[in-house]
This record gives sequence, C-alpha cells and structure tokens, in this order.
Amino acid sequence: MHRLRNSILGLLLAALCLAQSASELAAPEIRRVGQHLACLCGTCRNTVADCQMLHCGYALPAREKIARMLGEGKSDQEIIDSFVAERGIHALAVPPAEGFNILGWIMPFVAILGGLLAIWWFIRRFLAKSAPAAVPANQALLDKYQQQINKDLSTLDG
Amino acid sequence: MENLGALAILLAFCLSLYSVAASLAGRWKRNDYLVASGRRAVYAIFWLLTFASSLLIYALLNSDFRLAYVVSHSNREMPVLYKFAAWWGGQEGSLLLWAWMLSAYAAVVLFTNRHKFIQMMPYVTSILMVTQAFFLLLIAFPLSPFDVLAVGREVMAAEDGRGLNPLLQYWAMAVHPPTLYMGYVGFIVPFAFAMGSLITRQPGDEWIRTTRRWTLVTWLFQTIGIMLGAGWAYAVLGWGGYWGWDPVENASLLPWITATAFLHSVMMQEKKGMMKVWNVVLISATFFLCIFGTFLTRSGVVSSVHAFAQSPIGTYFVVFLAFILLSTSLLILNRLDYLKSESNLESVISRESSFLFNNLILLGSCFAILWGTLFPVISEAVTGEKISVDAPFFNRVNVPIGLFLLFLTGVGPLIAWRRSSLDSLRRAFLWPASAGLAVALALLALGVRHPYALMSLGLCVFVAWTIVSEFWKGARVIRSRTNQNLLAAMVELTHRNTRRYGGYLVHMGVVLMFVGFTGAAFNKDTTVEVNTGDTFHLGRYELKVSELREGENPNYSWHHAVVDISVGGKPAGKLEPERRFYSASRQNTSEVAIRRRLNEDLYLNFAGMSDDNQKAVIQAYVFPLVTWIWIGFVVLVFGTLVCLVPNKVRFQVARTEMMGVVEQHAPAQE
Repeated sequence: MHRLRNSILGLLLAALCLAQSASELAAPEIRRVGQHLACLCGTCRNTVADCQMLHCGYALPAREKIARMLGEGKSDQEIIDSFVAERGIHALAVPPAEGFNILGWIMPFVAILGGLLAIWWFIRRFLAKSAPAAVPANQALLDKYQQQINKDLSTLDG
Repeated sequence: MENLGALAILLAFCLSLYSVAASLAGRWKRNDYLVASGRRAVYAIFWLLTFASSLLIYALLNSDFRLAYVVSHSNREMPVLYKFAAWWGGQEGSLLLWAWMLSAYAAVVLFTNRHKFIQMMPYVTSILMVTQAFFLLLIAFPLSPFDVLAVGREVMAAEDGRGLNPLLQYWAMAVHPPTLYMGYVGFIVPFAFAMGSLITRQPGDEWIRTTRRWTLVTWLFQTIGIMLGAGWAYAVLGWGGYWGWDPVENASLLPWITATAFLHSVMMQEKKGMMKVWNVVLISATFFLCIFGTFLTRSGVVSSVHAFAQSPIGTYFVVFLAFILLSTSLLILNRLDYLKSESNLESVISRESSFLFNNLILLGSCFAILWGTLFPVISEAVTGEKISVDAPFFNRVNVPIGLFLLFLTGVGPLIAWRRSSLDSLRRAFLWPASAGLAVALALLALGVRHPYALMSLGLCVFVAWTIVSEFWKGARVIRSRTNQNLLAAMVELTHRNTRRYGGYLVHMGVVLMFVGFTGAAFNKDTTVEVNTGDTFHLGRYELKVSELREGENPNYSWHHAVVDISVGGKPAGKLEPERRFYSASRQNTSEVAIRRRLNEDLYLNFAGMSDDNQKAVIQAYVFPLVTWIWIGFVVLVFGTLVCLVPNKVRFQVARTEMMGVVEQHAPAQE
C-alpha cells in the first residue's frame, strides 16, 4: 500500500517535473530525500533540499533526479544509495555513522566526557586539599579584614 | 611608487627583526637604550606600514592598473568606498592590513606601558615583533601587494580591472573584514603579555588586569566582526542564512570561543589565584587558533567559498604554527611552579565549579567545530575517500551543547563564590526554573512540538529571569537607601560594579540571540514564477506583484520587482527586491527586500528570470524571531562596553581566601 502510494506520488512528481521549471522542484517529498544529500556545487554548504541558488549546477539536476526516481517508485534509501554509488559517500550531507567515520560523530562527546572526568579529578584534588582548616585564625588579621569590610560597606551605603 | 611601497615593507620587516634582537639583548645585558631602541623600532614599523598602505590605497583610488593587485580587485566604475575596501579584498592587501593593524596595536601597547612592567615589556615587544616579522615576511617576498604587470622588463598597464566581487560590495562587507581582523590581531597582545609574565615570573595581578582588558576589547571587535558577517550573509546572499558552518566562518568562531572561556576563567585567577595554568593555555590556544584560522582561510587546506585564492604560503604557516605550539608548550611546562594555584576549591556547589563547567562546555563546542571542520581532511587521509561534513552535522552536534551552555549562563549567577547550600540553591532556582518550565508548557499547549525550540525558549526565560532578578534585587536595596527611582538605582548599581552587571547585560544579549536562533525551527518559504499582477501566498501574507522593470547603469544591469503586501486583507506596505548583473566581474547578485518585525521577517529575493525569460522568479521566506538576533547583538555590545567602564567604587579587596576557622564564630554549615 505504502509502495503504491509512493509510486502514484512519484508519477505525479515526474509529470510535474517534465512540465514545470526548476523553481517548482521544491515539493516536500523532494526535500525529504534532498535533506540527506550534500549540495556539491562548491559554493554553498547546504543540502540539496536547502540550496536556494536558482541555477545551481548540482542541486537542480539532483532534485530532478530525485523526482524522476520517486516517479519510478524507488524508495528514499534507494535514491540516496544511487547518489552514493555515483559520487561516493561525499554525496551524503553528513558522514555515515560507520567505520572510521563514526569517529566524526562521537569525538566531540568523547572530548566533553573526558573534560568531565578531568573536572571530577580537579574537584576531588582541590577539595581534598581544602578540608576545613582546623587551625585557629589569626585574630589580628581577622580584625583587619573586618575593618576593611566595614569600610567598604560604609562606602556602599554612602 | 610601487618600489617605495615594497621598500617600506622590506624595511619594516628588517626593523621587526631588529626590534626582537634589540629588546632581548637589551633585557639580557640590562641596557635600557637597546630596549628603548627596540620599542622605537615598533613605532617606525607602524609609520612605514602606514606609508605602504597609503600607497596601495592611492593606487586603488586612482585605478593604477600597472599593479596586479589593483587589476585583480578593482575596476574604474566601482564606488569609492569599495575601491577603498579592495585594500582587504584580496590575499596580499588583506595581509598588509593585518600587518598594519598589528603594528598599530603594538605601538599603542608599548607606548601606554612604556613605564610599566619594566622587566616584562622587552619580552612582550619581542613576541609581538616575531609575529609581525612573520606577516611582513609573507608580503615582502611571496605575496607582495606591489607586484606590477610586466612583459619582460617592460611594465604594462591593463585597460581596466576585474573589479571586487560584487557580493562584497555591501556596506557591512566593507566593515566586516577589518573589524574581524582587529579581533584576530588583537588577541596577540594578551598572548604576548601572558608569555612575558611567564618568562619573567611577573609578580602581582596588574598584568592580568591589562591582559583581561585587552582581551575584552579584542573579543568585542571579534564579536562585531562575526555578527557583521552574519548580517551581511542574511541581507545579501539571498536565502536568509546567517551562519553556514563554512570552514572560514568556523575559523573566526574558534578563537572567539576560547577567548570567551578565558574571560570567564580569568576571574578565578583574579579572585582566588586559581586556574593559572588553564588561563595561560586558553590565551595561548586563542592566539594559536587565530593564526590557524588565517592558515585555513589562505592555504586551500579546506574548500570554502570565503577562502582566498590558493597561494604558496601554507608551508610558512605550518612552520610558524609548529613554532608557536612547541615554544608555548615548553614555556608553560617549564613554569608550572610559577603557575601553582594559591587557593583551593571549597565546595562542588560554588561559582568556581560553575566556571569549570562553563569552560568545559565552551571548549567542547570549540572542539566539535574544529573537529567537524577538519574531519573531511582527516577522513580522506585515513580512508582515501572524500566525505562531506555540512551544516546538518554541526547543527546536530552543537545545538545540544549550545543549550547546555545557555543553561549554565542562567545557573552561574545563582551560585555564590566559595560555596552554596542546597537550600539557598533551591530558593534561588525556584522562580526562574518555574517560569522557564511554565513557558515551555504553555508553548507545548499552543501546539509547538519542536523539542529543541521548547527547551531553548524555556531556558531563555529561565536565564532572563535570573538576570533581571539580579538587577532587581540590587537596585531595590539602593533605592531603599538613596530614594532614587528604580531605573536610576539600576544605573547606579551597574556603575558600582560594571564588570558584574555589564557581564549580565552580555548574557542577556546572548539570551536574546538564542531567541532569534530558535525561530529558525519555524521558517517557511516558497518559490514562485510571476508576472505583473500575479498574487501568491506565504503564511499569513498575501503578496501581489504590482510592477516588474529592468534597466542598466555603467556598473551593472538590473531587474526590479515591486511587491504589495497585505495581511488579512489589510495593506502592509511593499517590498522591492532586485537582481543585478555586474558587467566587469560577470556575476549576479541579489538586493533582497526585507520587512523586519519583532515577531518575524518577510524576506523576498528576486532570484532571476524563468527559463523562457518571461516571468520573474521570486523566493519568499518568513523568518520568525530573527530580528532578536540583531537586538541581542546590540545588547551584547552595550554590555561589553559597560564592562570596560571603570567602577564607581574601587574595591580594595579583590581576592578572597580562607583565613582559618574561628570555632566560636563559625556560622553553622548549611
């Protein structure tokens, strides 16, 4: 049922694509697929769905291809795979989370986790050092600071 | 003329080397005359580079097409402003601007501190001049802005130039690069002070205050530069984007983030003598990232629409970056004893801890951006296969990090220095957290389903509440004592502690900017092909094309549309987008038309003519809340300027420390 609906929708899109100009290739179905694909025009760093250059040499043919393949009843994944087969994984807007490229996704969070561990170590170290001092305070020094506080407060009040 | 310009640069290069040698020799031999001559060489460099820059500007304004640089970046029909802006429109000229700014900064720093930090200043001079020598080396030899067009030994002059990229012929673009450079270049000053203090084991805090002030000023310039770039992208590129996660944009953001972290953590050093190693690392990282960003922009390592043409200077940068990294690391490691903390953390729930988390998240964000920028290069080197790391990657990684940072912005002011009790935290959090939660729930009830938008707007209310309550509480006390009205009391409060309350204003600016960023979750757009008299709809707007016209002038030809707007049947003004074609550079540009309102912008772009050249193609967008980004920016700049105003009350005790415990007077632990 889902496949039939996609096919009918795709046929309609293909018919529209044949009859209409580039500016009308912004249907939600084309955007849905296009947002997974990088625009490789070399000017913007948008996806095929987001590139707004009217005569973009990459996004425009890519949208036409998506509309055509939807018309042929291809699934979203099949269309994306065909771009990857043609251009390599460079065609994807983000690197796939597999193989070496998984590092691309996890490293920022690993770094933050490492930072959290470093903070935990730092706090433990400094808290251990600053256990409540059992030494009696120097009363003369405390008096001096108390006077300073009173002086500062009186300035604030003024 | 070109010989004089090249000679001035060459002389400046030699003098920068002399200044390094004289300052160091003078310091080691305790010869004040040598030190003074090293300092005066810096003043001479400034005048020489001013002279060289004036010659280049003169050549640009007078269309001297014997110079290759003038041919490449200007043409006869360009307006005077953009002829002037062509100074930094190309690789060679922008490097000259960079060197000139550095010489100006160095001259000001050395002049204003000529009687201070006697031991340290020769080292500061040397570090500034090593950097100066590096940039002068580039424009003295491989990338001279004074190269002439020649056939054999005969100098030639071109008929006309190729013109400045028309996309750059916009007022914000004339201001954006120099402002950004003032940020980039300025970070060299706090770095030089930090390194000088390490070398001489500078006692006291005075140099930190000087460094912090310089960092704040250059941070302000960097912020303005970045935001002018964002404003330019929004108003010129035609699709309403203000940030595209391009490598060059990212390069400007990286040192800004580390400098932001430094401005927070340096407070720990000033108040408690803590985090000294970390602060030195942060300011060094900021300087390193400035040079690294310049390297990215100019070496062609990563592909970017902003990058300058590829040039042979990549190797120079790699060597200089390696030198910075090695020498800075060795110096810090050698001075670890000098950088020992003077006091300790007293509680996990304290302002100090919140600064640690703030720094962690800022640095995490910085790393995520750097990683995403370089990952295509790394991945290709390892796997041999090209990959794309585009805006969706950066958004997915940085949005949660940004929201956590926003949360910390609200938490910081609620936690006291040294320690906070859970009870006081509960009291402090109750109202702001309730308000944030209430707003998020109200939006949910109104049909907003975007999880990040709900979180962001809820957090914005939470943070704004904490900031407003800080002002309210302080101003109420002053009002009760002085009988001033509330506004006057707030001004008085701010004036008494400009750093603290200016900082809160900066935070408020950030909150408003987040409101604007959040609006992007609800953008709408449509693209239509229309003739005069046609009507189309977007959101609540009805748009009627009342006129289409075309024409040309010596600089460009144009298509112009007049679009009448109505909302709910009532007229709401008109917008006039335009498409231009610049004849010299054979490039199209858009003059977008924007109806700016606090709740949303209506944005029209004349994208071009249809394939049969009969209809105008109009791209229409609705950008909710985007104006709050620019309002937030203005508040942020205002807050930073407030931070730079001296306090009305000079606090004599800036640093807190444990004096011991007096048992009979010790307050009960909460």
